[in-house]
Amino acid sequence: MIEIKNVTKKYGDKTAISNISFNVNDGEIFAFIGHNGAGKTTLIKSIVGIHDFDEGDILINGKSIKTNSIECKKEMAFVPDNPELYENMKAIDFINFMCDMYEISQETREINIKKYAKLFEIENNLNDTINSFSHGMKQKIALISALAHDPKVLIMDEPFVGLDPKAVFDVKEIMNEMIKEGKIIFFSTHILDVAEKLCSRVAIIKKGELVKVGSMEEIKGDKSLEKVFLELEK
Amino acid sequence: MNKVLSLIKTCMSDNMNLFRVKTKNQSEKSKKILPIVLFLIIFFYMWSFASMIIEPLVGTGKEFVLLTLFVCFTSIMTLVEGIYKSSSLLFNCKDDNLLLSLPISKSMVLFIRIFKFYVFELMYNSLFLVPAMVVYALNVSVGWTYYLATIVAILLLPIIPIIISCLLGGFISMSSSSFKNKNIAQIIITMAILLLVFYGSFNLQGYIDNLANTATSIHEKITQIYYPAKAYINLATNFNIGEFLLFLGIHIALFALSIVVLSKKYFSVNSRVKSVPTGSHKGDYKIKTNTPMKSLIKKELNRFINSPVFVTNAAFGLAIFLVGCVLISVRFEGIANSFIMEDDTISIQSIESFIPIILFGFICFTSLMSSITSSMISLEGKSFSILKSLPIKPFKIILSKVLTAVLIMIPIILIGDIVMFIRFKFNIFEIIIILLSSIVLPLVAETIGILVNLKYPKMDAENDTEVVKQSMSSMISVFIGMVLTGLTGIGLVVCAFSNIHKDLIILGGLLVYILIYVLLLIHLNRKSVKKFNSINV
Repeated sequence: MIEIKNVTKKYGDKTAISNISFNVNDGEIFAFIGHNGAGKTTLIKSIVGIHDFDEGDILINGKSIKTNSIECKKEMAFVPDNPELYENMKAIDFINFMCDMYEISQETREINIKKYAKLFEIENNLNDTINSFSHGMKQKIALISALAHDPKVLIMDEPFVGLDPKAVFDVKEIMNEMIKEGKIIFFSTHILDVAEKLCSRVAIIKKGELVKVGSMEEIKGDKSLEKVFLELEK
Repeated sequence: MNKVLSLIKTCMSDNMNLFRVKTKNQSEKSKKILPIVLFLIIFFYMWSFASMIIEPLVGTGKEFVLLTLFVCFTSIMTLVEGIYKSSSLLFNCKDDNLLLSLPISKSMVLFIRIFKFYVFELMYNSLFLVPAMVVYALNVSVGWTYYLATIVAILLLPIIPIIISCLLGGFISMSSSSFKNKNIAQIIITMAILLLVFYGSFNLQGYIDNLANTATSIHEKITQIYYPAKAYINLATNFNIGEFLLFLGIHIALFALSIVVLSKKYFSVNSRVKSVPTGSHKGDYKIKTNTPMKSLIKKELNRFINSPVFVTNAAFGLAIFLVGCVLISVRFEGIANSFIMEDDTISIQSIESFIPIILFGFICFTSLMSSITSSMISLEGKSFSILKSLPIKPFKIILSKVLTAVLIMIPIILIGDIVMFIRFKFNIFEIIIILLSSIVLPLVAETIGILVNLKYPKMDAENDTEVVKQSMSSMISVFIGMVLTGLTGIGLVVCAFSNIHKDLIILGGLLVYILIYVLLLIHLNRKSVKKFNSINV
């Protein structure tokens, strides 16, 4: 379970997110939506321990990211919106590096790397250096690295940007498989159709403040998520 | 014209951030104190050095030799550094996509790149040239024309070394782009050219043995070879409006001409540099397991060897150490004789007895002036967030960077040590002290480097050169290295000329550096994690 408790983050004088609180339960796909600059990435980076925050706390399965960040990070995987990977590394070396950091056994990584490389049809490119890859291919490498250690919590920032249609479908399938195992998926997106079809709960952020949070049915009622979102943005 | 100014302003703004004085942020203000203090110390060093050189020349009418030497020194420094900086400054920059898509000519893009290079060299050269020029003015009665010629010369003198290094940088990039492993090819070609230039300038140094007696011949040799030095000295000593305009015109014309010539090939070379070979060993990938620390070190080594400017910057100092040790071993008598004046009572044997102290000083100079870690945080760039998201303690990540750097440095320093141990008579005590110094001094230098980089990170550089050679972090590390080397040198010389036993001198030096290392380690342990976590990308 992810518990976000009264989190506030400031950049100098500017408040990026203000007093945000909500929970994400086990076995849930949770969408986090908002316009550009609303504070989505700031909150996501705070959850995964990239950004420190000024007030509040974030608990991952009961452990605080502030005081027990290493244990929290071991349970999570993060896929950033713009995969800034180590450009001079071969793709397979990068994935191996990430597995080493999570201390994944040889057996588990053999199974997972081969499985996801085949699924994303990138097996033949794993010996190439990352600087020869397109945005979508880098995104696939980031996804393989994240999934290779069977995370209990998967956090993704705009995961579908740059992916080809088949890869988008595959990611959605992986997400559905993961929640069947009781894992948590939390992601931000601008593709509201996907969020509407895929997610059980949703949170909408506007100018750093949470304006709505709840189950998809509660939020949208008999309207589309797109309509609800646009109405809130007015 | 507005377009040009707007481009220059935009492209320069990132680089000049740390030079802005007005800031409300208290931590930004405190960040400025260290560079200012270091700048003043280096300025004082240069001032003292210039005063020492001009002292025997005052009244001989040869005072202008001071200017010749400093012009020559800064020009060689700009050329040598420029050779390995220019490839990375001109080609494959992160803002290529933006600039090359704008409705501006390719020569304008090239102009912006070279102009940024010029502005940095102008500031760096001024640190060395201004003290010498002021010392000259204080010792010789000069008129307003001296100041006019000097100000114009400070502005123009970096141009020719920059043009030559850009042409060589273009040649290096073009030659290496046809190889499969471009980075390795670029490192090898750059090092070969650098060693050639260094060999040439080393031969020039051979003329500088007895300053007062050979002053005029040094001046003649340098001015025969290098027009800008000749023109400036003529203008400084005997101003002539015709020569002044010629001096000005030649530099501007050469700058414009080099832009035109380089821009002809710029686009195609840049495209070739950017292309990355793919498709080898399809599907034949290896899944390997390593410990987190080993994997972190491998990652750092991969980053290091894939950045030609990073490798060349570190390798150049280490190569000088190695070549220096071999030269001292092979040609000791000849080198020692050049330091003995006719009326000196000092002998070759007595110089030889100082070899352990000289070697200690040399290790100190090499370690402190070749900081690798001062760029390692900044070179992470946007991918720094990967490190921050890992389930690894930040201190371990920082330690992996320091360990990588010392793993690069220590083996090369040890080879130099062994060469010296074979040639000269070291007792077992001296061998132990030197070997320990070869470990402790790189550790000190690299710990300073990482601390400085954590305090002055530059995470948004357009290319590796901006980080490795032109960032506040790399400059401060070099300045700290200069200050520590200078203080060590003074300490060693003072002790060597007193009655202290030479073994005690190097032992004392080592103990001081062990103490510095312990203090740095405590500071690193206390502050580094907070600094690491505060870096946002």
